[in-house]
Amino acid sequence: MAFFKKKTDREVEKYEKLSPSILAVYIILILFCIIIVAPLVIVVSSSLREASNMKSPLILFSQLTLSSYITAFNQMNYPMQFLNSFMTTGGSVLIVVCIATMAAYPITRIKRPFSKGLYYFFIAGLVIPAQMVIVPVAQMFGRLNIPNTRFTPMIMFITCSLPFSTFLYAGFMKSVPIEIEESAYLDGASLWTRFTRIVFPLLKPATVSTIITQGLWIWNDYFFPMVFISKSSQYSLPVGMIQFLGDRENPAQWNVLFAACVLCALPLIIIFAVLQKQFINGIAAGAVKG
Amino acid sequence: MKLKKIGALVLAGTMILSSLTACSQKTAEESSSGDAATTTTEEATTSSDGTLTTDNITITMMYSGTATENDFETQVLPKLVQEAFPNITLEVTKLPDDQYYTALKTKLASGEAPDIILLQPKYAGANSIISLAQAGYLEPLTELKAVELGGEAARESYRYGNDVYGIGSGATMLGTYYNKDMFEANGLSVPTNWDEFLNCCQVLQDAGIQPIVMGDKDMYVMQFGLYQIAANQVYADNAAFDDQLRTGETKFTDEGTWDKVLEMYKTLYDKGYIQNSSLGIGAQQAIQKFVDGEAAMTFDGSFNAAAIQASGTVEFERGYFPLPGNDAGEDLYASVAIGGGPGIYSGSKHIDEAKAILELWFDGESDIWKAYVDAGNIVATYGYGSDQVNPLFQTFVDLYNEGKSFYWCNQGWPAGTESEMEALFSEAIGGQGTTVSDIVEGMQLKFQELYTE
Amino acid sequence: MNRKKKSKNISLVFPNRMYVFALPALLLFCVFWVYPVLQLFYYSITNFNGINYNYDFVGVKNYVTLFKEGTMVNSIKNTLIYAIIIVIGSNLLGISVAMVLNIKIRGKAFFRTCAYLPALFSAIVVGFIWSYVYMPDAGMLSSLMDLVGLDGSKLNLLGNYKTALYAIAIVEIWKSFGTTMIIYLAGLQTVDESLLEAGKIDGCNEWQLIRKVKLPLISSTITINVILNVIAGLKAFDYSFIMTNGGPGKSTNTLMFTIYKIAFTDQMMGKASAFSVISFIVIILITIFMLIFMNKREVEL
Repeated sequence: MAFFKKKTDREVEKYEKLSPSILAVYIILILFCIIIVAPLVIVVSSSLREASNMKSPLILFSQLTLSSYITAFNQMNYPMQFLNSFMTTGGSVLIVVCIATMAAYPITRIKRPFSKGLYYFFIAGLVIPAQMVIVPVAQMFGRLNIPNTRFTPMIMFITCSLPFSTFLYAGFMKSVPIEIEESAYLDGASLWTRFTRIVFPLLKPATVSTIITQGLWIWNDYFFPMVFISKSSQYSLPVGMIQFLGDRENPAQWNVLFAACVLCALPLIIIFAVLQKQFINGIAAGAVKG
Repeated sequence: MKLKKIGALVLAGTMILSSLTACSQKTAEESSSGDAATTTTEEATTSSDGTLTTDNITITMMYSGTATENDFETQVLPKLVQEAFPNITLEVTKLPDDQYYTALKTKLASGEAPDIILLQPKYAGANSIISLAQAGYLEPLTELKAVELGGEAARESYRYGNDVYGIGSGATMLGTYYNKDMFEANGLSVPTNWDEFLNCCQVLQDAGIQPIVMGDKDMYVMQFGLYQIAANQVYADNAAFDDQLRTGETKFTDEGTWDKVLEMYKTLYDKGYIQNSSLGIGAQQAIQKFVDGEAAMTFDGSFNAAAIQASGTVEFERGYFPLPGNDAGEDLYASVAIGGGPGIYSGSKHIDEAKAILELWFDGESDIWKAYVDAGNIVATYGYGSDQVNPLFQTFVDLYNEGKSFYWCNQGWPAGTESEMEALFSEAIGGQGTTVSDIVEGMQLKFQELYTE
Repeated sequence: MNRKKKSKNISLVFPNRMYVFALPALLLFCVFWVYPVLQLFYYSITNFNGINYNYDFVGVKNYVTLFKEGTMVNSIKNTLIYAIIIVIGSNLLGISVAMVLNIKIRGKAFFRTCAYLPALFSAIVVGFIWSYVYMPDAGMLSSLMDLVGLDGSKLNLLGNYKTALYAIAIVEIWKSFGTTMIIYLAGLQTVDESLLEAGKIDGCNEWQLIRKVKLPLISSTITINVILNVIAGLKAFDYSFIMTNGGPGKSTNTLMFTIYKIAFTDQMMGKASAFSVISFIVIILITIFMLIFMNKREVEL
């Protein structure tokens, strides 16, 4: 903790002085942020309206009420669906991190054509979108008699995350020097010890990146839960949200949709805002110098 | 940290193991799903003895649509079913159209489809009764009283072979919503033929009012106008046009049929009666523009009546009339169809209970039926509610009862034909040089590619 | 060089039994991904409609139809344009923002969060919001144009055949550049300060430092990001599906959108599978080409 504090102190000292060029950077950054955030302002302002207030969403903050949020919260059964989302996302990311690092380990370390082949085999999986194979995948689920539960989509979350994660880990693992492992080998460390004690900790930046990128898409994905879950009490937040989307014969109630969207993204925003220092520090701390 | 990881490994391992052991059952499974079509018809005769289980069971139901507050399907129905059948829990999920199609298809492929599913009449959409019944996924409902009550039109919409597989319960219609205040201010009355309609548009345009607003970015809205014109120009002359399309007697390219319909509809764009930015705005946004008083008319279905009547930036009275696609001196026809309705998955474990629920729901007098009609999404054709039609829909119901109406054209075409029509039509109005004859040729080609029998 | 000696060493430190490590991933991957993909190859020679299992074999008919129709060329062209825009836009934006945020300035955390905010929202809602941004007459962009004195009423980006594809590509960049930026930030953290100091002492200006020191040092990060963006671009589906429905006409029909439409709207699973097989090959070829190209560049840098 003390070390952590010291580090931030040092960082404060190192802020660049306010020169004209730095000022220009600030102005550009602020303008940039406005452009980036503007569409999201529409979301927030519309979500603060009554569900029946169908005036153009571009009339900003014309009404301030939480009634849309209450409707969305109740209809989504938010606590339940939040828990479902949380469990499936957390579980999937955990498993992905474990088995993807394990897969990347031999692929980068054993210098053989077979490793190269495996590497490209995984990357090939990256290029196939889920919509393309969903019917055969569903048939596979039928054949294996996998029942529809809240955890069923996890199988596909993990499978679809594997190519990317393996690709990322393999890329980062190249930069972990072999020499460290060689000396550990001479000290008599087993493969498993080397992997868990030396290689895995050194991959922290990759792990953080994997958790962020994969956690994000899994949290936001509605496709697999929609297809592999039959009961609304087992749905995750994004599936709860698309129920407000509307279609040909049912216009969207976009006030409620936007409220649902904010509710769905809120945990992510909080996590990212609170942990971003740790995320970035994690990336920095594990970075291999030189 | 280490323990956690080992735990995860064990989990992954067991998952893979369990999936492998189940692999051996593959062949048996496959052969049984192959002849599902034959087994279901046999079951139909044996399973109608009507004895219901007294065990506590859960029946799942999947519908398309948007869950609103106090939504009938997702909230009211499960409650009423629980009251009528204390041992049955009904779990209803609702998904928007496109997501519904995908989910239904994959659920059928995985063998875990819901017990009750929403069907569309004839060939309409990916959940059309004909394609599902053909593949053996539906339980015949022919002997249900509810099917009897629905009337001949409803039975016809849900028939495949000799059996009826779905329950059509009410009519839905396509029409023209208009701003009564604007019409009055410009001395206009409801037009009764195409020339009068064009005249209406011209008067409004001259008065500086956008006559019609459409959200063609969601291309399906083109059907709303086109089918109304087609009801007059194609089907009034030849009611069997779609059937003859399948036998090859008629073609979309026949002169004086669809080419005329498309030409007429295109006129509205050429003259700027429909706003020229229509391809850039969505259906939702178009409704909003109408509600905010920025245009005098919009083509839409009875299913969107609630959204059309929501309050906007200006207050005005709404009216609804069938788009008069008829030539002067000819009768007016409306575009009225039996809407989507429930069917039962043939692989369901609770067929009898699901049937019992549908019987009660559609008996014309139960609390469920009353709640269903009161929800206002359908226009009841029998039982409670059929005598008190929403005044907005009165003209349509009268025409329907006189037999002067036709179902929505896409119900007679294999799904995909209409989207080809929409894509080509938007090329035509988007200045891509596509002509009306290109459109009908494209439709004919697509129809021939999609229709396989 | 000393390659011989090294490879002998490696086989001892890294024995072949290490491949066991890859087993869990490989199993999952084969059962739930590779096998279904192979099944697509099989369906591509049938007239399977996606639900009815009484289908016939039709040989290469599906492929022949696809090559005869113009749809395939159109959607490949659209997809390539889309992918190129995504790769260039997302990477340029990502790397420049990452570099700026790597300078020690105040409020870094705030800017970082802002840049990453769009990535936190689901694609459906992003598409929904942006159709209001692009809406003609009263949309956010045209209102802004009116505000600064330009004529915004003619602006109809999604409804115009020439602009729709670019308009949805911009949405994709808006949503995804945060992720790209994070990976660049991670890469930049690995750049050794002392090398930059050395560069400064040698009299390099800021631009030369970026060009000669930073970029070469993060070349593997660039590879990762470019490849990921290429793949994301080639798999483009969400915004064609949500914002334009492939329209106007067929101008935003991407590969995946066309496949989806054939499979789920037209109900021609066989034809969609044939299309999948072809696009699979196209995407793989492009990706391999990119990988080889990027890896070669990495070495050169």
